[in-house]
Amino acid sequence: MELKDYIGKPSGAGNIHLERGSVSRFARAVTDENPVYHNKNAAQDAGFDNCPLPPTWTFASEFLGVWPEDKPTDPTNGAGNPLMKIIGNLMKSGGLILHGEQEFRYHQVPQCGETLHWEGKITDIYTKESKGKTMTFIVMENEFTNSKGEPVITEIFNLIHRGA
Amino acid sequence: MSNIKPKLQYDAVTVGDEAPVISHELKRMDLVRYSGASGDFNPMHTDEVAAKQAGLPSVFGHGMFSMGLLGRAVTDWAGVGNLKVYGVRFTKQTWPGETLSTKIVVTGKEETPEGKIIVAALQLLNQNGEVKLEGTSRVLAA
Repeated sequence: MELKDYIGKPSGAGNIHLERGSVSRFARAVTDENPVYHNKNAAQDAGFDNCPLPPTWTFASEFLGVWPEDKPTDPTNGAGNPLMKIIGNLMKSGGLILHGEQEFRYHQVPQCGETLHWEGKITDIYTKESKGKTMTFIVMENEFTNSKGEPVITEIFNLIHRGA
Repeated sequence: MSNIKPKLQYDAVTVGDEAPVISHELKRMDLVRYSGASGDFNPMHTDEVAAKQAGLPSVFGHGMFSMGLLGRAVTDWAGVGNLKVYGVRFTKQTWPGETLSTKIVVTGKEETPEGKIIVAALQLLNQNGEVKLEGTSRVLAA
């Protein structure tokens, strides 16, 4: 399969449970002691219904919010995230994987107690030559929606393989 | 229903304004804590022996820790819940012992259908002015 053939392929899907413990620990790990992330009363005083998510929490959501008994249909039909196959092939000749860019677009403020649904896909793959090395850019998009199907957060990011 | 109020007053913000700076000395414990809280246990962040065997001087910081730190500076300034877009490019690795400081400069103001938006250029720099992250935020103002 050529690299270009992966463009548009789904990378996965999941249901993400927003729980206060993981939100509070994550906020603290990025040095954020703002009480809205740790104390529901403080969150409500600030106008939220419950503790909100720190801006970058969803990037770790597959680790933080997935329950094995609540899995949606796998859009990859059991094949797994094609990113792993792409990176595996690129790394056969050595090199390094870098996180190049990361963007979050916020449509609503997600709060603890909600369950989000995410679906990811590979939106672009391209190469560039830099200082005699081939750089392969893999662009991904994750869409998080709420229980009503409304968009909550869009993540757009790329990983870069820098050839040996 | 949530009733989140913007912290910034649109008319009081001027292009060129800078948000309060946050400085943080990066420690190995930050890497340990972020690994545990995010699930990213890449040995290049967690295992000094493995990092040295790979030819690195030491473990290095997670890019997403840096993005979290810079994001805290944005939400401290604009208020949690008012962020509309937050994007960065990772330009350099961060190393334990570096002091990382945020720089947030207002570059634009836009009245849009979704509300009054303040646009800012973002950087995270070390003590020598080396840029680790650069990016953009769009936040709601009142």
